[in-house]
Amino acid sequence: MKMVNALVLAGYGLNCDNETACALELAGASVARAHINSLIDGSVPLDDFQIMVFVGGFSWGDDHGAGVIQAVRLKTNLGDKILEFVDSGNLVLGICNGFQTLVNLGLLPGFNGDYKTRSIALTFNDCGNFRDDWVMLKVNPSSPCVFTKGFDYLELPIRHGEGKFYSDKDVIQRLIKNNQVVIQYALPDGNPAECKFPFNPNGSINDIAGICDPTGRIFGLMPHPEAFNHWTNHPDWTRDKEKIKRGGGAADPGATAGIRMFQNGVDFICDR
Amino acid sequence: MNSTYEFININPQLVTRKTELIMPYRLEITLNPDLFDAEGEGVRRKAEHYFGIEIKQVRTINVLTIDADLTADQLNTIQTEIFTNPVTQISSYKPLSVEFDRVIWVGYRPGVKDNPGSTAVEAIEDMLGIKFKQDEDVYTSKRYCLKGKGLTAGDVEKVAGELLANDIIQRWKIFSKQDWDPEAGTGFIIPKVVLDHTPCVKSIPIDSDETLKKISDKRNLALNPNDIPTIRAYFLGKQVRAERALVGLSDPTDIEVEYISQARSDHCNHNTFQGLFHYKDLSTGRTEVVDNIFETCIKEPTLSLKEKKPWVVSVLWDNAGAGRFDEDYYYVITGETHNSPSNMEAYGGAITGIVGVYRDPMGTGKGAKLIMGGYGYCVGQRDYNGDLTPHLHPRRLLDGVIEGVRDGGNKSGIPTTFGQLIFHPGYMGKALVFVTAVGIMPARIKGEPSEQKKTSPGDLVIMCGGRVGKDGIHGVTAASEIFSEDTPAGHVQIGDPYTQKKMHDFILEVRDLGLIRFITDNGGGGLSSSVGESARFSNGCEIQLEKVPLKYEGLDQWEIWISESQERMTLAIKPEDLEYFLELSKKHAVESTVIGKYTDSGKLHITYNGKTCAYIDLDLLASGFPQWEFDAHWQSPERRGLFEPVVREPHDYEALLTDILSRPNICSREWISRQYDHEVQGTSVIKPLVGVGRDVNSDASVIRPVLDSEKGLAFAQALLPTYSEIDAYHMTSCTIDEAVRRLIAVGADLDMIGGVDNFCWPNIQYDPEDNPDGRFKAAQLVRSCLALRDICLEYGIPLLSGKDSMYIDGYLAGRYGETHKVSALETIQFSTISVIDDINKCITMDSKIPGDLVYILGETWNELGGSEYYEHYGYIGLNVPRVHPKQFATLYRALGSAIEKEIVASAHGIYRGGLSVHLTMVAMGGDLGMKVDLALVPSNSVNRIDTILFSESAGRFIVTIDPENKKSFEDIFKGLPCSCIGVITNKSGDLVISDSKNKGKSKTIISIPVQDLKAAWKKPFKDLC
Repeated sequence: MKMVNALVLAGYGLNCDNETACALELAGASVARAHINSLIDGSVPLDDFQIMVFVGGFSWGDDHGAGVIQAVRLKTNLGDKILEFVDSGNLVLGICNGFQTLVNLGLLPGFNGDYKTRSIALTFNDCGNFRDDWVMLKVNPSSPCVFTKGFDYLELPIRHGEGKFYSDKDVIQRLIKNNQVVIQYALPDGNPAECKFPFNPNGSINDIAGICDPTGRIFGLMPHPEAFNHWTNHPDWTRDKEKIKRGGGAADPGATAGIRMFQNGVDFICDR
Repeated sequence: MNSTYEFININPQLVTRKTELIMPYRLEITLNPDLFDAEGEGVRRKAEHYFGIEIKQVRTINVLTIDADLTADQLNTIQTEIFTNPVTQISSYKPLSVEFDRVIWVGYRPGVKDNPGSTAVEAIEDMLGIKFKQDEDVYTSKRYCLKGKGLTAGDVEKVAGELLANDIIQRWKIFSKQDWDPEAGTGFIIPKVVLDHTPCVKSIPIDSDETLKKISDKRNLALNPNDIPTIRAYFLGKQVRAERALVGLSDPTDIEVEYISQARSDHCNHNTFQGLFHYKDLSTGRTEVVDNIFETCIKEPTLSLKEKKPWVVSVLWDNAGAGRFDEDYYYVITGETHNSPSNMEAYGGAITGIVGVYRDPMGTGKGAKLIMGGYGYCVGQRDYNGDLTPHLHPRRLLDGVIEGVRDGGNKSGIPTTFGQLIFHPGYMGKALVFVTAVGIMPARIKGEPSEQKKTSPGDLVIMCGGRVGKDGIHGVTAASEIFSEDTPAGHVQIGDPYTQKKMHDFILEVRDLGLIRFITDNGGGGLSSSVGESARFSNGCEIQLEKVPLKYEGLDQWEIWISESQERMTLAIKPEDLEYFLELSKKHAVESTVIGKYTDSGKLHITYNGKTCAYIDLDLLASGFPQWEFDAHWQSPERRGLFEPVVREPHDYEALLTDILSRPNICSREWISRQYDHEVQGTSVIKPLVGVGRDVNSDASVIRPVLDSEKGLAFAQALLPTYSEIDAYHMTSCTIDEAVRRLIAVGADLDMIGGVDNFCWPNIQYDPEDNPDGRFKAAQLVRSCLALRDICLEYGIPLLSGKDSMYIDGYLAGRYGETHKVSALETIQFSTISVIDDINKCITMDSKIPGDLVYILGETWNELGGSEYYEHYGYIGLNVPRVHPKQFATLYRALGSAIEKEIVASAHGIYRGGLSVHLTMVAMGGDLGMKVDLALVPSNSVNRIDTILFSESAGRFIVTIDPENKKSFEDIFKGLPCSCIGVITNKSGDLVISDSKNKGKSKTIISIPVQDLKAAWKKPFKDLC
């Protein structure tokens, strides 16, 4: 099997680098966790990788808008290299603070190959506070997104204070039309949350939790797939285990939805 | 010379610089008018809830005051590229025209840490490729635009001064429509610190004890009068004077006296716990001398347990204790309080507390990675509306504390997995903020044991992290005093998790490369403590104080030495490693500076620009100081007039249970857990909230800190301060028992549990006027420590770490200008931690499947003293719950074995509120009905229903099991108090409690839909999120 090299950014207040690296390893990738400055000074060359992950955390303390200063620093120091990376058919994933960074870089929404324009904001939650909770997500089966192939629904944790997806109507309509809306917050029964709190935890327009670019190779989402790396991460695991046990089954159901999402990325690189 | 001594102004006025050459720029940024302003809405809501002030609308404007020489192009670039989101925001270098009836502008006072200001500088420098000059900076502030017809000047002043700003760290300006100039806006307010002061070292006269005492009072040194002769004797010693003459010193310098004051403070030296207690039981006349409760009740028991438990790795000397996680890793744990600062400035105090305690594991052994945090808050009633006026109303204090720990924990990337909140009027005097930190480190680093460290002569002294300013000066001595309106505010700071997170990542990288010889944090006492303590290993150091990086010029030498500016660590490294160390420091954007070297001279030698300003024997502090002494007079509860209230049995148990579930200390606190990130690092196994609705509190949290291992760490805490109203011995034993039981309930093994004790006690020094019951409080402390020793030895719990915080008293203004001393309850927070061998076998407290059997383990006694039930009626009572550790331990081991065999579907301890409350919790967790018969509850001569339902007897659990496992389960509990009392019923069913022995008309006592009980339990704080 082909070796898939994944880069996980770290430093400057990012804080999900370890578990994201672990999740990618579980998905079969070979992972380098690198400080943003090591990427900038070239000691870790971006060319060595096929998957680049912008992870969660509070880069630069989230002062002046979540992900804003990280985007400024990367755009100033690495802008063209990142565009080349995207052009080469590689994958970019932005989770939480990483998603916030991708929209501030302009890598998303990426309409018509324009990877520089900021047209989406992830702003303060309507509830006015940081929130940690698990959410039900409905996956768009028609989306080109590489990472969500094979999913109808999935449950993941969200943990953010600035996750309200916001843009003007035209951009939203275009995202919907292009099937760039990849995941949406849903009720526990799978129906759309229709902005109902806490199922849509932040007031995101159209319940949007994650979008991709038109190629499906750049994906940003607020929920944390890397925090569902073991079946015991799921809030229902003790109840599920008891039910399965009574039915005579074995408890551990294998790879979690979070890990399968990373596997989709690794498989895409292997197969291309 | 002595006669000419003058006191310098120890808190020089921080002056605002007049704008001179450079024109500052003010960028105002706000959300597009059609966007919902969640922050403004929060302000509007709080103003209504806190003060009943109705505001129609609040819009917030972020203000950046850029005091730097930038071109128009540069200004334009940073405005559009950094500070304005094109989708959601508008901005302008002119005042934005946002509608208002009143404007409130709030900015920091000079010298207060402005974290967003610092990151703005970083971003501007990066984007423009420039470097700010030394006197250039960016300051952030906020402008709130309030709309509302009836808003009076008084209303707006209240919102500004009591909601938006805290005058200790912030200042504000209010504008009405009339006095608003749309061109000038708020004007330019630059909180730049300019100290009109040339640093100088003063000599302190020691011609008499009185002179030194006076200086101690004036300088706010808080020297204990008994220490003064010892200090004088040292500096008057012939040999000492001769040695000092060689370096140009005679009488002690201010820096030396400040150093001694810090090190001798109760906060650093634990003089109370090492004191001599003359204990007397006034009922029996029996007397006893307890010499050094730390030695007898904490150290000796823990060392004897360490002998028996090979998993105990390192205790009693380092910043945190260490236990073995597995062959390759050790976990470390410690707990702290940050009470005094949080009472002054709730948000700043609490964030500094949590970020500060996180430095303890970082400074343990050769450095640990942070993996988990916990919190405990004890405050006055949230809706207090009586005559006393604390510095901050409990509601505002609590909100600030919750938010401080939220930002400190979340931005550190450390999951906050467990916490507690207790309301009691005693905490109006001083609210308590407990913060706990857990870390993990490799067992060996480059082949060397990670838990060991030392400094050696020739090693470099490195200060790493933040810079030094005036903040935090005399924080330690303030924590050792009773809070009053005169307490200096200078010790309030705002922790900066961002700076610390960068340092954390840097430290882990250099640790793994084997570069760290020694590491400790700069907490209380600053460099004075960290360098002083680390130099004891090599036996000496030479410090060049002028090398310490400062936030601004003008600090005196003694201020640099004792400043508690946050986010700093002190490290020792080998000179040959310096270059590599500094290179990595730069990569991580962390400032590291060599400030001296370790020696073996026996001296702490400090110079400033080549001139000696301190030269002191390191062993001075270890010898010669007199022990503190306390009279401790115990009066039994009966002697104090406590008795069991005369209450006849109630008839309406349904209303009673519903009301108890809505009591502030029982009801849901979901809003706190949800705003704390408890899943970062991807390690979550048992979350703070569990059950079908994911909204019922778990007994303990469990994480899987090493992601490729199936081992876990279980963690829980307990607080039961009301029992102190009867006897602090039983308060302590019940608190320990609860914390232990919480871990057992999720599947921990009793033999693997370690503990952390955090004492918070009112002043115990008797004074006929100021502290007439000081001797009783001292006796309570002795009894509490004896309980700690007894129970920990019986359960076999080594104390991995612990801290004490004395003086939890306050003087509150009353209605007529009088003041009242309010002392908090004698309080101990006990934390427990245990390795879990296989996390896949952990269980949660929620009932799982209809038809499951409900068991009670442990006996119920007539123990309503200090209970929630009595408190509901306004009683204290007498029969406080007791712990029977031998019997309990057998039961806990049996439950451990049942969980290990995977035949338990759920387990939950019975805690505050008693059986009825906790049956409700189990039912709510599963969203399933439950039918139980009280006649079957194992009880010891209890014949009243209310006693069975509400007694808070320790040592009990509610367990549910698959009926298939009935026999194997009951076999395990043969001969132990264990009884099947009922069954789990249908989804969303009723909680049905009956008593088959009831002689009354109906055998059914309670029958309420579980959903209704949940609604009652959630009601009090349901609007908070």
